[in-house]
Order: sequence, then C-alpha cells, then structure tokens
Amino acid sequence: MRKYWQIVKITFEEYFEYRLNFLLWRFRSFVSFLTLFFFWLAIFSSREQLLNYQKSQLLTYVVGIAFLRSIVLASRSVDLSGQIRSGELTKLIMRPLGMLQYWFSRDLADKILNIFFTIFEIGLILAIFKFPLYFPKNNITYFWFLLLVILGVFLYFFISFTISVVTFWVDEIWATRWLFGIIFLEFFSGAFFPIDILPNWLTKIIYLTPFPYLIFSPLKIWLEQLSGFMIIKVVLVCLVWLIFFWRLSLCLWEKGAKNYGAYGG
Amino acid sequence: MSVIEVKHLKKYYQVHKKEPGLIGSIKSLFKRKYEDVKAVDNISFEIDEGELVGFIGPNGAGKTTTLKCLSGLLYPTAGSVSVLGYNPWHRKYDFLKQISLVMGQKNQLWWDLPAIESFILNREIYEIPKKQYEETLEELTTLLEIKDILKIQVRKLSLGQRMKCELIAALLHSPKVLFLDEPTIGLDVVMQKKMRDFIKEYNRRKKSTIILTSHYMGDVKELCKRVIIIDKGKIVFDGELAEIVEKYADHKILSVVFSKEIDPRKLEEIGEIKEFDYPKAVISVKREVASVASAEILQHFPVADLNVEEVPIEQIIREVFTGKDVA
Repeated sequence: MRKYWQIVKITFEEYFEYRLNFLLWRFRSFVSFLTLFFFWLAIFSSREQLLNYQKSQLLTYVVGIAFLRSIVLASRSVDLSGQIRSGELTKLIMRPLGMLQYWFSRDLADKILNIFFTIFEIGLILAIFKFPLYFPKNNITYFWFLLLVILGVFLYFFISFTISVVTFWVDEIWATRWLFGIIFLEFFSGAFFPIDILPNWLTKIIYLTPFPYLIFSPLKIWLEQLSGFMIIKVVLVCLVWLIFFWRLSLCLWEKGAKNYGAYGG
Repeated sequence: MSVIEVKHLKKYYQVHKKEPGLIGSIKSLFKRKYEDVKAVDNISFEIDEGELVGFIGPNGAGKTTTLKCLSGLLYPTAGSVSVLGYNPWHRKYDFLKQISLVMGQKNQLWWDLPAIESFILNREIYEIPKKQYEETLEELTTLLEIKDILKIQVRKLSLGQRMKCELIAALLHSPKVLFLDEPTIGLDVVMQKKMRDFIKEYNRRKKSTIILTSHYMGDVKELCKRVIIIDKGKIVFDGELAEIVEKYADHKILSVVFSKEIDPRKLEEIGEIKEFDYPKAVISVKREVASVASAEILQHFPVADLNVEEVPIEQIIREVFTGKDVA
C-alpha cells in the first residue's frame, strides 16, 4: 500500500509545481458552476416550482453537480491513452506496480485536491447568496447517497480505464473520448440538468446506459425523490455496470498489452 | 548456470504502408496493406551470471526489440525467453524487482520533479529497506558525482546529468540483470568514458549480468568480452570480441613512413596499397605473410617507420554488416 500512497503524494507535488495551471483549471470549473447556477436561478426567479422540482431542490442539484464532478468525474486516468501512444507506459509496466492501483492512486490525488477547492468555492457562493439547500430528512438517505457515490467513483474509473485501453488497437482515441466525454458523460449523467426533465422515452433510454448513476441518481437519492424500491434497483444496476466495466477493462488490458509496441527508443 | 536463455525468439510487427501524399492517405482510408516487419527473426543465445555482453548492430537491427522481449515489455511472436528462470512476459513482481532497463533515449524519471523524488518513489515501489536505500544512493551519487543536482527539476538537467540520474534510478534496487539500451547516446567523450568506467565497476562489484547495446564501438571494446552482432533480426556473430578479428580479418595493415621517394609500383608486389601519400603508405597484406612482408619492406625500401596493425574493429564490423570482404 505504501507505494501507492507515495504515488498519491508525488501527484500532489506535480500539481503544486504548476500552481498557475491548477488555479486556472479551478477557475474554469468555478465559472462553469457559476453559469449553471445563475441559469437556474434566472429560470426560477419568480416561481417556486418547475418540472417537479422546487427551487431549493434544483439549486441543491446544481451544487451537487459541482461536488460530484470533483468526486466522481475528476480523473487522471485519461493520461493512460497518451502514454500508450507515446510509449511512456514502458516505465510503468516495467515496475512492480499494479496498473489499476497506480491509476486509481493518481485519480485519488486529483479528487482530493479538487474536493478541497470545490468546498471552498461553493461555500463562498452559499455565503453570498444565502439560499436554503435541501438536506435529507431521513438519516438512511445519507448512507444510500454515500454508497452510490462510492460505486460511482469506481464505475467512472473503470469506464475511463476501458476507453483508454482501446488505444492499444486504435491510435486515434480522441473522437471516442470526445463522444464519451461530452455527449454521454456531460449530457446523460445529468451534469447539466436532471435527466427526468427530458421527454419520458428519452429518459428511459438513458436509464439503460451506465451514465446516470454517476451524478443524476446519487442526487435524486439526496433529494429523496426515489422510493426505497427504486434506490435498491439503482444500486443494483450500478453494481452490474461496475462489475461489467471492471472485467472488461482487465480483459482488454491483458489482450491489449500483447499489442503494445513500447514505441520509441 | 545461464541467467538468460533465448530460444528461437521471433517478434514480428504489423505495419501498414501508406503511399505518399493526400491521394495515398485517402486510399489508405479504405484499403490498408499490412506487412510483417521481422524485427527479430529466430535468434537463440544464452548468457551466464555476471557476464557483460555487448549487443551491436546497425539501426533497426532488432537490438532494442530483443531487450524489450527480455524485460517483458513485448509479447514474443514465437520462441521462448527465460530470464532468471522467469518468463518475462508474465511480469511477476519477483521478476521485475530483479531486473532493470535503462533506455538512453527515453526518460523514466518524473519530468517535472527533482530526481530525488523519483528515487524515493522507486524506494517504495521496489520496497527497498530504508538503510539499504540510503547506502546505495550514497554510493551511486558519489561514484557518479551528482550529489548537488538531486534537488533540481529533471527537465532542467543537462543530458549527461539526466542520464546519470536515470542510471541511479535503475540501480537503486540492485538488479541482478541489467539491460542498458544505448546508455551513452548523445553524451560527450568525457561523459562516455565516465559512464563506461561506472558500468564496468558496477559489473565487477555486484556481479550483475549486463546486456548493453550501443552504436559506439568504444563502449563495446572497452566493456565487453563477448559480443553478439545482430543484423536484420538475425544473429551474425556470437563470441569473444577477439574472435571477430580472427574470423573476419584475414588481413593486417602495414603502415609505412618512407625516408626517401620510392616507386609505388614496386610496393604493389608486397600487398594491396590502400593509401599512398608520400611519405606515408598503408598496405594491406594477408595475415600469414604479414611478418615476411614487413621484413621485405625493411630490406628493399628506405623506411623511417613501420607499424603492423590489426584492422580496426569498427571497420571489421562495418564490413560484416555490408557483407563485403574485410580488408
């Protein structure tokens, strides 16, 4: 375990080496949070309820997006595909290191840093605008929320790892990443708006994909809009997707490594 | 006992060829011609514990590919490889902890951080006991004289400094088998010498098995008793460096400095004239008659100086590759 902790530490050190880069990245996230926040604030300006959401619920949803983005979505494992292409991966697979553990450690450092800043930024906004957030009335809700977030972290990690590993076969990974990153991830996961404000048939299709379990479902649990039966169903489906992508990424890794050219040098 | 055993190793790559220009690119969208490149084509050899073997060959001969198969980076197309009794491809932790690969053209250190950070990370990754780590680090940094640069960002180091750090990072866990791929590439003469001395010393002290590839004959001449020459994926020669000279160089070189003008035509009777630029001449003669020929020159010509030399090893190897007869 100590070696992976050292990787978390060295990732921190890398970030601190490039302070400006990191601050600009945070600034970008902050601005996109603000945009979303003011957009929904404007829509709700004169009413208290819209599309089955109360004002406080929807604003809580927006704050929740910012949190879950930094906990669930924040990731360094996208770098893997670049490393496969350039042959930089060589220096990693030559060492007694677990690949999944290595990249998860990198992600973890990224998440810790981002969460820290997100709390600070959101705290600032809440202190200025002073609107009421929705907090669960049932204590058990916290448990389900936490459980699904943890599952979401791993689900996202394995999806991301799987896509990176495809680079072993296909050199041009950017189109896939873009499709996955923008269309599916941002849209289908509910990172802009709650998915259930879409037409019913579209919502049903999205439910079949692994994406809503990353952001939308945990927040629905937090807002206590899911019945007990639904919660269990959501957790189970998420678990199935998680196991699917875990096995898939390992299987592709095993096969892909045989294709690895260790280019350069 | 042999530490490394390679039997009928083959590694083929599939590459697609694109015709030049935009039209070629469009064609390759629809139809790609794939071709097998035989990077390593059926080679076998064994290396014993503590040996320092030089792997030489022109660019693209398959040296690096072989090293990558030996260190478990590449999956062989056919044949078997055994290093320290392990199949490298399985990349067992116990195996990886006993080997190291240094690539002169590839950076393995953390680019944005000082070298010492990479060393500390390696200490954890290889689970090196703290005391052993400190002793090894002290020893290596003293030997390579780089104590003062450990805290500088790697990307700001000079090539020579970086290579020394690369070497230290690769040696911290005291590997039993060390693969050095062009460790002196791009270094100046002084640094090359230092690097060689260091490798030699390390091999002597730790009794570790080392395979070294290089373009520089100097590296090989100075370090390796045994060489394996590889060309177009096949082994051309495997044996002691001195044997190459015997096997391929059936000639010796006589270089003469004359004290008076002579008739070069007379000289032709002695051997093949390689160069004639009065007062110097270089003559190539059969190995068996070298002493007779030199006696004749001394007798019949006004000689100021005469030297009998072996054909330079660089030349022999160059001609082994080009398939020409050796002078």
